[in-house]
Amino acid sequence: MRGFDLVVIGGGLLGCFAARNLCRRQLHIALIEAREDVCTGVSRANTAIVYPGYDHKPGTLKAEMTVRANARFAELCAELDVPFSRCGSLMLSCGEKADAVLREKYKNGLSMAVPGLRLLSGEEARELEPSLTAGVTSALYAPTAGTVNPWELGIAAVENAAANGAELFLNNRVLGIRKTAEGYRIETDREVFACRAVLNCAGLYADRVQELLFPSEVHIVPDGADYLILDRAAANKPTHIIQYEPEDGGKGFNAVPTVEGSLLLGPSERANELDFAVSERGIDFVRERAAFVLPGLDLGELIRSFAAVRPNPRREDGSSIGSFVIENPAPGFWSMIGIKTPGLTCADELGRFAAEKAAAFLNAGPNERFDPRRRGIKKARGMSWEQRAAAVRSDPDYGEVVCCCEDITKAEVLEAIRRGATTLDAVKRRTGACMGRCQGSRCQQKLLALLARELGVPEDAVTKDGAGSEVLGGGRHED
Amino acid sequence: MKTELLIVGAGAAGIAAALSAWEAGCRDILLVDRREKPGGILPQCLHEGFGLATYGMELSGPEYTDRITERLAHTGVRLALGTEVLKVRGDRTAVLSDRGGLTELHFERLILAAGCRERSIGSLPVAGTRPAGIFTAGQAQEMMNLRGQDLGREVLILGSGDLGLIMARQFVLAGKHVIAVIEKESRCGGMARNVRRCIEPYRIPIRCRTTVSAIHGEGRICGVTLRHLDSGAEELLPCDTLVTALGLIPDRELVRGLGDPDWLFLAGNCHRVHDLADSAVAEAETVGTRVGGELAV
Ligand SMILES: Cc1cc2nc3c(=O)[nH]c(=O)nc-3n(C[C@H](O)[C@H](O)[C@H](O)COP(=O)(O)OP(=O)(O)OC[C@H]3O[C@@H](n4cnc5c(N)ncnc54)[C@H](O)[C@@H]3O)c2cc1C
Ligand SMILES: Cc1cc2nc3c(=O)[nH]c(=O)nc-3n(C[C@H](O)[C@H](O)[C@H](O)COP(=O)(O)OP(=O)(O)OC[C@H]3O[C@@H](n4cnc5c(N)ncnc54)[C@H](O)[C@@H]3O)c2cc1C
Repeated sequence: MRGFDLVVIGGGLLGCFAARNLCRRQLHIALIEAREDVCTGVSRANTAIVYPGYDHKPGTLKAEMTVRANARFAELCAELDVPFSRCGSLMLSCGEKADAVLREKYKNGLSMAVPGLRLLSGEEARELEPSLTAGVTSALYAPTAGTVNPWELGIAAVENAAANGAELFLNNRVLGIRKTAEGYRIETDREVFACRAVLNCAGLYADRVQELLFPSEVHIVPDGADYLILDRAAANKPTHIIQYEPEDGGKGFNAVPTVEGSLLLGPSERANELDFAVSERGIDFVRERAAFVLPGLDLGELIRSFAAVRPNPRREDGSSIGSFVIENPAPGFWSMIGIKTPGLTCADELGRFAAEKAAAFLNAGPNERFDPRRRGIKKARGMSWEQRAAAVRSDPDYGEVVCCCEDITKAEVLEAIRRGATTLDAVKRRTGACMGRCQGSRCQQKLLALLARELGVPEDAVTKDGAGSEVLGGGRHED
Repeated sequence: MKTELLIVGAGAAGIAAALSAWEAGCRDILLVDRREKPGGILPQCLHEGFGLATYGMELSGPEYTDRITERLAHTGVRLALGTEVLKVRGDRTAVLSDRGGLTELHFERLILAAGCRERSIGSLPVAGTRPAGIFTAGQAQEMMNLRGQDLGREVLILGSGDLGLIMARQFVLAGKHVIAVIEKESRCGGMARNVRRCIEPYRIPIRCRTTVSAIHGEGRICGVTLRHLDSGAEELLPCDTLVTALGLIPDRELVRGLGDPDWLFLAGNCHRVHDLADSAVAEAETVGTRVGGELAV
């Protein structure tokens, strides 16, 4: 049995950032994740917006955290060496009802001191973003909105936590939790952990994990969402985040120019599905919305569609909950349940919040040696030619391009594997290889060979995203 | 560094352009390819069917490659393999990268012979999951023929163009079960010759007017939903491998945004997709002869 001061359950954005912030204290931390990598759940599939903070009711934890998180975001990304694009956002309306919603949000924003907010006329909005529909009647411009790659951020946080002493246990699904005299005993499908305190960040399963030991007053009612990604070469891409507030009060729509240069469109909404499978209706919905909001966009430049799942928190009586839910069913046990938007924006804030509570309970002093800085994998793309030439001189692998769509070199792939990537998707998340227009048809086989060689396993043991997703031999068969 | 003529891509078209430019009198030619071997996609095409027009007989891809590369050895064309052309600029410079370093190169003329890329499943709005076991046809061909890899046993082919047909046969010859070739149009997209050779002898069903509307499987693909386009009816087809032959897209990424400068020429599949290597070669020879003549010493 392994002993820790605190065990974090779940390696999504929240778990990774909780672990990072717990390392600011003198605490021996374990992060337990069921899957083969961190950030494969909700944190892998979302809208990637760093919100400015005008959406929530002033005075609530959500509103305050979002505004604070946004103000600190550039600094956070600099510490963690993660690209952040503060491209600004335009929330559009095409009618009087939605105009009123925008005015309300503008007022919210002013009272929360969201910087730089402006209400624009339709004409002004189109001046700022010529690709918009001519039907726009007003727009709320927020220059502080931005976008970040969510899994890149989560991976950076967990690497930083590990560098500061946190221990990461992948492929460990928590199956049981028991109360002991000293605290808690956590059983996974592989190991047993003893700890004084538990922080449950199990995402879509956070209610069930809490119910392994305590009742949960909050339940997650999942629903699905679909997204499309257009190639960076797509004509008439917007340069701001575009958010559409429909006149009928229905589901909004976002177009996000990602840090990779592609354009993310979505989401759709589907009821009651705990299923990361794309729906045809969802795709159609997103396409229709996109064609309406950004009429010049070439939807033929589609390179990928994917599904997400929203963990909607509900009370026993079925009513939905608007605020962040952080349950504390017993001393030394906290659960973050159903943290959806803006959980990405607030990941570090929520991590701090939880870490403060845990540190107070465990009476843990500050960790003077905590280093908030983490260095990312040095990317060839974006270097000046001089820098790139120097990189090749010091490591010839920087001269060898493996993924030609995204310009990713062998050196970056090898470094990702050294940092713990064991699957094709893990390499993809750490380097960006396979994310471009050919979707890996030219480089996946090279990544497979490199993974097999570096991990010292046969090629047919290499998986896309964990056991059961073997790439060769038709996958693993029962016979 | 400087070169009179830079040719990007040492596939059938790039090699043919280099040979013709040399014969036309150009004496300073650099032929660059990111692959470790010349021939472009030819070395992975183990089937016969190349060169009928040029050599009067049917060669395999590697044999065809040998014939043209052998001629290169008798010229002074410099071949840089394992080298990526990262950037081409409007001021007639290019940046090349290999394990030895980065090279900035000034050129007089550029022949882009970069081939094409395959449309991937991602470009179709297909519902369902995104599991392992989905390959493009060219990727499957490379993995099986150049890497000796075994991809799967129960194979569905999406798209009945030549590539789809050739891969269907290849899976059968490798002892796999090809469930069907799926085609949305009302007739097969490939050449009659390939239907005769690759499909009929093995009784592989071609299911016209159908498409894959959803993909199923956690981890590894376990099946697809097949939609009949005329009736709208759907059926579930189990499989463990899906090979997509959705079409080829000329790859002109390197010169995107440069317009149509008088120093830039296109040859082979990056100009337009050629069904036959002979036709890519013929086009490249015309380009090579013309550009080589302009640069002749
Ligand atoms: C559709 C959508 C769009 C969004 N868009 C935005 C946005 O634009 N901006 C923004 O700020 N926020 C956004 N969010 C919110 C943000 O994505 C989430 O708040 C955040 O990703 C939640 O992370 P998490 O760590 O709770 O969940 P997850 O990433 O799901 O992590 C939970 C982890 O726990 C693991 N786990 C589960 N059960 C167990 C177990 N028994 N044992 C061990 N491990 C277990 C899982 O494998 C998983 O890795 C969006 C959310 C959704 C759903
Ligand atoms: C599966 C398949 C089967 C076929 N079967 C037949 C057949 O039976 N008979 C027949 O006659 N024809 C056949 N063809 C057609 C014929 O093979 C092609 O039309 C021809 O080979 C194309 O040659 P290419 O030089 O234009 O392109 P390619 O062979 O694709 O060569 C392009 C080269 O450019 C390189 N390159 C691209 N960008 C860069 C860069 N930035 N830096 C460095 N290098 C770069 C690539 O690595 C590649 O090697 C087939 C084609 C396919 C795909």
